[in-house]
Amino acid sequence: MTEPLISELKKAFRGWFLPFKYNLERWAYALQRLSGIVVTGYFLAHIVETGNVVGGLSVWSVPSTDMARDIWTATFHFLDNPLFDTGLVVIGFMLAYHTINGIRLTLAEFGFLEGKASRPDFPYEAKSLSKIQRAIFWLSILFAVATAVYAINVFFGV
Amino acid sequence: MKESTKMLLHYVTGLGIVIAGGVHLFTVFLTGPYLQNLAFSGGAYSVISVYRNIILAVTLEVLLLFVDYHALNGIRVILIEFHQGEAWERGVSWILIVAGILLLIYGTRTILIANALA
Repeated sequence: MTEPLISELKKAFRGWFLPFKYNLERWAYALQRLSGIVVTGYFLAHIVETGNVVGGLSVWSVPSTDMARDIWTATFHFLDNPLFDTGLVVIGFMLAYHTINGIRLTLAEFGFLEGKASRPDFPYEAKSLSKIQRAIFWLSILFAVATAVYAINVFFGV
Repeated sequence: MKESTKMLLHYVTGLGIVIAGGVHLFTVFLTGPYLQNLAFSGGAYSVISVYRNIILAVTLEVLLLFVDYHALNGIRVILIEFHQGEAWERGVSWILIVAGILLLIYGTRTILIANALA
């Protein structure tokens, strides 16, 4: 508890985001956490962005439709460029991963897919990460890649 | 609220987001040309048409509420895993509750006003 916050933060980040030398479950955890943070960032920006549909922060009563249309159209054109489109591809990947891996975590939370308890034997593989859970993890990666490809096609396709 | 209740809500809102978010992404990407759906008006699923549709507007409000809780509770879990202590945990919770309420108010304002736009 007496550790200074900065060194605590460094240690935490290493533990969260550098799952080298750990098993697949740890990779799933790191990616779940990273994707959660990224999608939360998108959510905040999205609420601000869609606020411009009615004219932005200062509008608290029904404005004229023309004014709302102009502000939304300007917002859309401002955001419609390769930089933000690339961001959306990354967010698509993260969101898809977070969804499927989140379903795995929900099932595990309520006791499904856990496998039977048994005596630990060499090489001491984690019993918690059953075959079906590994399959769902790889499914989430596959779904994430597919979503990213779909997003690339939507934003950059001809 | 008990920690287990907060986490139960985390899982419930997560599954809710899969459904409400699915509807949201469906209306944006799979109901017509993407550029038409993000235009202010002009198509059956253009921005303002979606907000005027009461079922889709309610879905957006539910999605806003669920994502608001799920995202900020996720941040809370990260922050209390980072550092422990009663003052820290209470401070984190209160700041996130206030931030969550502000986001909810702003998002709800957008939905209500967009729904009422002529």
